[in-house]
Amino acid sequence: MYQYDAIDQQLVEERVAQFRDQTRRYLNQELSEQEFLPLRLQNGLYVQRYAPMLRIAIPYGMLSSAQLRKLADISCRYDRSYGHFSTRQNLQLNWPKIEDVPDILAELAEVQMHAVQTSGNCIRNTTTDQYAGVISDETVDPRPYCELIRQWSTFHPEFAFLPRKFKIAVNATESSDRAATQVHDIGLHIKKNEAGEIGFKVIVGGGLGRTPMVGVTISEFIPRVDLLTYLDAIIRVYNQQGRRDNKYKARIKILVKALGIEEFRSRVDAEWAHLKGKESTVPMSEFERLQGFFSEPNYDALENNPANLTSKLAESAGFARWFERNTFEHKKAGYRIVTLTLKKAGQAPGDATAEQMHKAANLADQFSFGELRVSHEQNLVLADVRQEELVNLWEAAKEAGFATPTLGLLTDMICCPGGDFCALANAKSIPIAAQIQETFNDLDYLYDLGNIDLNISGCMNACGHHHVGNIGILGVDKKGEEFYQISIGGASGHDASIGKILGPSFAQEEISSVIQKLMDVYVANRTEEERFIDTYRRVGITPFKEAAYAKAN
Amino acid sequence: MPKLIKNGEIVDNTYNWLQDAEQTVTQDSIVAAQKWLSEKETIGNVAGIWLEAGDGVEFLQDVDLSQFDVIGVHFPAFTDGRGFSYARLLRERLNYQGEIRALGHFIPDQLGYLLRVGFNSFQFSEEVDLEKALDLHKPFSIAYQGDVADPRPLFLRR
Ligand code: HEM
Ligand code: SF4
Repeated sequence: MYQYDAIDQQLVEERVAQFRDQTRRYLNQELSEQEFLPLRLQNGLYVQRYAPMLRIAIPYGMLSSAQLRKLADISCRYDRSYGHFSTRQNLQLNWPKIEDVPDILAELAEVQMHAVQTSGNCIRNTTTDQYAGVISDETVDPRPYCELIRQWSTFHPEFAFLPRKFKIAVNATESSDRAATQVHDIGLHIKKNEAGEIGFKVIVGGGLGRTPMVGVTISEFIPRVDLLTYLDAIIRVYNQQGRRDNKYKARIKILVKALGIEEFRSRVDAEWAHLKGKESTVPMSEFERLQGFFSEPNYDALENNPANLTSKLAESAGFARWFERNTFEHKKAGYRIVTLTLKKAGQAPGDATAEQMHKAANLADQFSFGELRVSHEQNLVLADVRQEELVNLWEAAKEAGFATPTLGLLTDMICCPGGDFCALANAKSIPIAAQIQETFNDLDYLYDLGNIDLNISGCMNACGHHHVGNIGILGVDKKGEEFYQISIGGASGHDASIGKILGPSFAQEEISSVIQKLMDVYVANRTEEERFIDTYRRVGITPFKEAAYAKAN
Repeated sequence: MPKLIKNGEIVDNTYNWLQDAEQTVTQDSIVAAQKWLSEKETIGNVAGIWLEAGDGVEFLQDVDLSQFDVIGVHFPAFTDGRGFSYARLLRERLNYQGEIRALGHFIPDQLGYLLRVGFNSFQFSEEVDLEKALDLHKPFSIAYQGDVADPRPLFLRR
């Protein structure tokens, strides 16, 4: 995992000092509300429905046990003893006091953490695959590249006041895209060309929110040495030419769409011609230095399928389920990737109590070299677990509420905080998640349904990524009452697509029964091995629509 | 005339920023760049020109910028970051060596970034306490990226 050197440490400490002074001046009324706003946003501080919200960066999802303990500790002393892991590899605290934030940041800096650029119209925290470095089919480990991007984007002097927020995600596997790169402002796919050189396919102009769009390829291959100059070129064009007259039309996706990709590409190329080969070209020594931080942990030479694992799989259906769903093949024999789910019924998706954070940190120490990752689907990951320890880990994870064996299934939903916390919400989303979890509680049935992404957002902003859920639920407001619009057919991986709206919205209490009807159509129409999304793509929206709106008789 | 910050010091402002096209142009004027370009034959010598957000810098490509003592960049709102790119392009692409002055709505907390993209003078709105603003000059002692003062990113200096 990346370790700060004296310079990185000095920078976060200077940022804390700067923000302490900005907060002091704001509280003294030397800085107006309006002036403080972008300054606090660039430090992840929102003012929300009931209280401020602080968004803490977990760069590319990597977290040490010591950092997680610190987060737990901070949530106890400055908040209400829990935190919310978001879809963008951040942790949100919902109830801090503004005057405490500088102290919170100072404590975070002690464990090499910060809230830099987790919000605001700047380049946000870069995200990637939660299985980076351990999944067998990746081209290369994307994390050194993410760290390179993190450093390049941190306090970038030219791009701190962009037309709108700017999100970059990186993926390095052909088989799946767990970072949803195609719905980011820039999506990067790490590839090797025929000569074996590492570079990036660059996708631009994806995004959700009010105008959801799947990104388009601007370049099939940018050699890695040119990555930063190419990013500079894209964002420089966007900074100057992106719309600033209308907040809803300010994202890069609107510019790309308005110009067309050909024209946008030629403007970027014209800009890049001046930058390519200049000082920001990344030398090999820097890649090597960064790669050094992500070297393999001390794996033992082990065999796959140790006896205690195979026997437990044979005798315990519960364990077998958990193994099948929540653990993943590792590139090293004798190891397995384990996801600790934060989707236990009765707890808001992605929420973890301080006690759970401590427990997860302990599990990381005991079973996974003291490291964890945070996933886009709002779960935690132990990346390097010995297969012979899986039984012990399962017992411990069950005890902590992390073993709900539903990863990737209907009830492993993504869900934004919605009306319970968020000032922008049109409707609550957590009770919808709870309703679905209660209704679909039969594991055999869920397993039979197989992989389905269900995503819930409390408003158009799409924090819960509803557009790219195979089933998306969106809170809407109708004359002061909360309703929910359902879409189907969205996907966020390599086959990314935006879901189609079924029709008129539903009342809160109808949601589960509508989902049930959609499942019935799927089960009745599917061929063997077909996922929900495949069936939808084959049969189209009509049968689903008819079932959802059929009059009960 | 109100003072301004230039090269890290509080100094007298000797130029006159003409925001209104009708104002009389003198040798001390900073004239809107588009106006200067279309009327330069008749306008005569001026201290400099200023860019409006949205102007870009490309239209100055063939102009000899060394004739100007100052180029102003106007911020219609402090959240409008176009001027950051303009200053950088003036320095790095058009090789302009003179004064680049921030005008309009920007705030002292942006000084660190503004300096790094090539601004060296700052005409704040009148409410701003310049002594206090000076304290915010250099929030960070080091940076990851290269900038106008030193184009080498940290990885070439580490
Ligand atoms: C509670 C405070 C929050 C506020 C005020 C907030 C605000 C917003 C806004 C205004 C947008 C719209 C962006 C646009 O129009 O393009 C947005 C989008 C988004 N937010 Fe949030 N959000 C909050 C919480 C969250 C949480 C909890 C998550 C993750 C679970 C999140 C992740 C996202 C994502 C992924 C998008 C999609 C943007 C895109 O890809 O285009 N936000 N948010
Ligand atoms: S989708 Fe809307 S309700 Fe949900 S967190 Fe985002 S802004 Fe808030």
